Amino acid sequence: MSAPTTTTSPPPESPPSAKPHPTPQPALRTRLHTLPRHPLTVALVAALCAAVVGMVLVVAAGAELGSAWQALEEGMFGSSYAVGSSLNSAAVLALIAAGFTVAHRAGLVNVGGEGQLCAGGTAAAAVGLVLPAQVPTAVGVPLVVLAGFLAGAAWASIAAWLKVKRGTSEVITTLLLNFIGIGMVSLAVHEEALLRQPVTSSETLPQSAPLPTGAQLPLIGDVESPATAVVVIAAVAVLATGIVLRHTALGLRLRAVGHSPAASARLGLPVGRLEGGGLAFAGGLAGIAGAALVATAPYVLAEHFSSGYGFAGLVVGLLARGSLTAVAAVSLLFGFLTSGGINLQLAAQVPASTVQIVQSLLVLFIAAAMLFTTRRPGSRS
Amino acid sequence: MTAALEITGLVKSYGSMRALDGVDLVVEAGTVHCVLGENGAGKSTLCHAVAGSLTSDEGSLLLYGESYAPRRPADALAAGVAMVHQHFSLVSTLTVGENLRLLRLPDLAGRIARVREAYGLVLELDAVAGKLPVGVRQRVEIVKALLRDPRLLVLDEPTGVLGPAETDALLETCRRIAAAGHAVVLVTHKLGEAVRAGDHATVLRGGRVAGGGPMAELSAERLVPLMIGRSVGALDATVAGAVGLEPGAVEPVGPVTVGPGAAGSVPAAVEPRGSAPAALDSAGSAPAAGESAGPVPVTADSAGGGADDGDGQRVGGAALGLSEVTVRRADGTYALDRAALEVGFGEIVGIAGVEGNGQSELMAVIAGSLAPDDGRVVLHGRDLTRAKPAARTGAGLGVVPEDRHHEGCVPELSVAENLHLGRLGEFKRFGVFLDRPALGRATEKVLGEHDVRAPGAFAPMASLSGGNQQKVVIARELALDPLVCLAASQPTRGLDIGAVEAVHARIRAAAARGAGVLVVSAELDELLALCDRVLVAYRGRLLGPVDPRAEGARERIGALMVGADGAGVPAGVGQSPPTRGPSPSKAIGAH
Amino acid sequence: MSAVAEELASGGVRMALPLLLASSGELLSERAGVLNLSVEGMMLTGAFAGAVGAHQSGSAAVGVLTAIVAGLLFAALQALLSITLRADQIVTGITANALALGATTYGARLAFGDGAGAKSLPGLDPLAIPLLSDLPILGPALFEQTLLGYLAFAVAIALALGFSRRRTAGLAIDAVGEDALAADRSGLPVAFIRYGTVLLTGITAALAGAHLALSEVHAFSDNITGGIGYLAVVAVIAGRWRAWPTLLACLVFGLAQSLQFAAPAIGLHISAPLLTTLPYVFALLAVSGLVGRSRAPSGLTVPFVRAS
Repeated sequence: MSAPTTTTSPPPESPPSAKPHPTPQPALRTRLHTLPRHPLTVALVAALCAAVVGMVLVVAAGAELGSAWQALEEGMFGSSYAVGSSLNSAAVLALIAAGFTVAHRAGLVNVGGEGQLCAGGTAAAAVGLVLPAQVPTAVGVPLVVLAGFLAGAAWASIAAWLKVKRGTSEVITTLLLNFIGIGMVSLAVHEEALLRQPVTSSETLPQSAPLPTGAQLPLIGDVESPATAVVVIAAVAVLATGIVLRHTALGLRLRAVGHSPAASARLGLPVGRLEGGGLAFAGGLAGIAGAALVATAPYVLAEHFSSGYGFAGLVVGLLARGSLTAVAAVSLLFGFLTSGGINLQLAAQVPASTVQIVQSLLVLFIAAAMLFTTRRPGSRS
Repeated sequence: MTAALEITGLVKSYGSMRALDGVDLVVEAGTVHCVLGENGAGKSTLCHAVAGSLTSDEGSLLLYGESYAPRRPADALAAGVAMVHQHFSLVSTLTVGENLRLLRLPDLAGRIARVREAYGLVLELDAVAGKLPVGVRQRVEIVKALLRDPRLLVLDEPTGVLGPAETDALLETCRRIAAAGHAVVLVTHKLGEAVRAGDHATVLRGGRVAGGGPMAELSAERLVPLMIGRSVGALDATVAGAVGLEPGAVEPVGPVTVGPGAAGSVPAAVEPRGSAPAALDSAGSAPAAGESAGPVPVTADSAGGGADDGDGQRVGGAALGLSEVTVRRADGTYALDRAALEVGFGEIVGIAGVEGNGQSELMAVIAGSLAPDDGRVVLHGRDLTRAKPAARTGAGLGVVPEDRHHEGCVPELSVAENLHLGRLGEFKRFGVFLDRPALGRATEKVLGEHDVRAPGAFAPMASLSGGNQQKVVIARELALDPLVCLAASQPTRGLDIGAVEAVHARIRAAAARGAGVLVVSAELDELLALCDRVLVAYRGRLLGPVDPRAEGARERIGALMVGADGAGVPAGVGQSPPTRGPSPSKAIGAH
Repeated sequence: MSAVAEELASGGVRMALPLLLASSGELLSERAGVLNLSVEGMMLTGAFAGAVGAHQSGSAAVGVLTAIVAGLLFAALQALLSITLRADQIVTGITANALALGATTYGARLAFGDGAGAKSLPGLDPLAIPLLSDLPILGPALFEQTLLGYLAFAVAIALALGFSRRRTAGLAIDAVGEDALAADRSGLPVAFIRYGTVLLTGITAALAGAHLALSEVHAFSDNITGGIGYLAVVAVIAGRWRAWPTLLACLVFGLAQSLQFAAPAIGLHISAPLLTTLPYVFALLAVSGLVGRSRAPSGLTVPFVRAS
């Protein structure tokens, strides 16, 4: 950029003795002066706009607004079943988005959540299925989760290796690895030599056999609720990454590498290791999410088991812009909206696609308004 | 007649900072109008406003009497205004010819031929732009601007990357363009160029017009105070160098001379080197070959007994030694061609040269971001050729990189974080967490010691002025314990005068403490005033050395810079003849 | 045996046609620096709008026109977001696809009711070119297309020739994608060029979608594109951002798809998931430089800002 470096050149008016000059924090200034530009305000306005569109769609589909709202609310909070499944979805999203945030801190954009999730799920199924039927939960679950983490991390490491050693853009490689991961799951559940359950008739579904009880994620909360330990795992993961990124030397090093690989290398930081490690960790968390999906009812690996969670988690991560608080909040919002949407179709005969439309409009509105909002420190465009 | 360009009350603000604060300027057709000023005076902003790269907040422009308000570069080009950018505007993956085709001009070949004939600017159209040396790219830029036959040509600091001969040719081209009836705005911070090529001059300071007029009525001694806001007499010789003031030009006014007098003006905080340089002069006053005996490290005593074994183990005993360092580019040419140099303890060695002659690669090899194809880098007897940057830092090598924002610091991180990023392990709480309070305390101490003006230890680096940023970078590198050698590239580029003085003082202090110092600079005058010895980078070789205090040193260096001096011997030959001391590998083995 | 080869060839070309159309536009966008992940959504929108247009008017030609208009509108949204508002291209791309999927699924309920009406749309019929279509193997594959099919070839080849790097227009696109700032300073209209390529992608992708709905099956079903749009993006990557290799990649991908149907006929057991995954593996190898040299445009996904 040849435009004058606005922040670094001394202010023209002030004599030498008056440096430090008074313009250091434009972000702070903007925040004070223009509340309308605060990210939260923008998010609320975006949500309002999206909600209006949603209402129009509900009416256009011939449903009553009141009953549709009731169905949506019912689907989100109406029962402990609703809350439990919402939390499960939110947890999967949060794991992927938290990982995304770590890699993003190191300057890498992990588009590959979907593929890493597939790798994690496949590994979890493979490990779970070789475990003896009566394996205790205390052994089975950690093994399955670990398998998911390692496989996801390994899957991401392909992109990390290409990035660090060959300079190939991780955006493109992780994107491609998504489709390869999806294909790998498909292959695994179609071949009996791999993970397909024994084919007894032409009716046999292309999916794996169910995991043994000891490898299934334990339920938490009351019996009605399908919420599993993945909620706890995700909460711990989000909290731990938040603390590491904010309060440790490692977090600071990741941030330095993310902002300036060249200066970081000059100062002796292991740039490749930090970048690669960040991306691999992101893959690991997505892998755990995949393992959790497999180790949750119906406890099988099936084609399309990822159901787009990887892409949704990426969107959550990008919207959260480096804040793990925002990761948790947006994950919960999306998780609850998704299960509310399913009930919308069941109870109010409004197409579930309405929720998909509203959700994507919300994201697009926020993405569109980002130019006008204040930037968070630590995020890189 | 109407003026070619008339600017009235131009204002451009960035946040609360006014880069241009009510600038008035009139450029007559058929003249070269020089815009002078220090870095940050608003020169570039003015250029971009005229060329449509940015839109001004207030003020009006008249182009040959017509209202002119370019909103994008295309508008300016359509109006007949072309700009030669300081940072190039060539697409580096395209060939020169393709870059010119992007202009979508009719009869391109004819135009290229006409420019070649009129100005003697020859281009190699099939070369890929990104692979050309900077000087050649600059020439392409100028041709690109001239192809449109512009009514007004704006050149933003065009000579920064050119050698003396190329600079002369460029200034001559400017004169010819003006002679053809067009107007030229030549932006520079080098007075000498303005005096040679300009018809008029306008001096900017702090975004305002500080003065100006016909060049015939102005002289260097009148322009300098306008540029810097104080009189020449108060200037350190090195500082005069930074504004491109040749000592001869100011001699009548102030005591700007090179030598002990200049050294005496170093702030008191620095241990004065007294008459040591003079003693050095007499010791090494024999011409180049005699210099090869090498200066006795001036402050060998203060560096401690271990610094110099005293028995002439040159490479092993020197603070920093490079032998036969070779770096091949992808296209097979040599970025560095058996470059050799050696920096003694307490010695300041300078590398002069036109940019793009291997200086950047040399620093990269020293700093560890580039592995040489051949040759060795030895720091006080330790072979660091393949060592990682962290190992080099640990061994006592401080590096001040050429590009402060790219490599020197992380502008988005705080001052404290930038200062201590390499050794965060020392700031731990409960074994896991980062001890920010301790980090802050350590930082405050450094800020005080180095006189860094910062809003606070945790203010973002980007909020500091360029000079204070550089002070932080230097403070970080000087804090190494032990500091064996400091390698600084373009340490004062873009800094204002006060900061230049402070940086020079720090560099002298480091040498006075006994460290070897290597300075790479594009400012010849800076090197002449600062260094004990100057080598010249030319096409990947290091020529010289030249004693900066010897008679005619400037001319000799200037000649070496363009490879014109047939007598120039590669420094490696002059410095490490096989007869002297053990070979580097033996020296390592002995340790 | 030749029947199988004929089957394989015509199947491959059939699969490749929508890819050809979509990726010939996408290639231009990416060369100009805009990663349109939303090709999938553009295709889906085109397929849906084409089906609705044909359904309402009873004319396939009207369907094609409505598809183009819808594709342009959708592309304009993508362009506005990623060029003017400088929104993240990956987020907007993926989300726009989700929006298209949701909106077309919802719209199909309204337009066709629950399933019934979308069947048997007025579609385009194949026109065999005399003599040429009688050629062995390639004849039926290439010369028994619908008008849209022939158009697909024509568009792909016209774009490849018209915006080749030897022409100034192609050079300008490359310059904008490689170094927008330098292009701007050379007087090129950066935003105009980027908008133009994205809108062009909208047209070609919508035509590809309309081809699916009107030439192939004469029906619209939810998510009828099923990821072909992403495959078009991958073809561009595998083609290393060059026109002819990209077109070749489309044909190879089409053949790979076709093989899974043709393989059983010659007693060859190749896992279908393996075949569908191969294009992505190939693209990964291509982009990582393990197969030839390859480099994405430097400015891909980077928004252009003239001054800070």
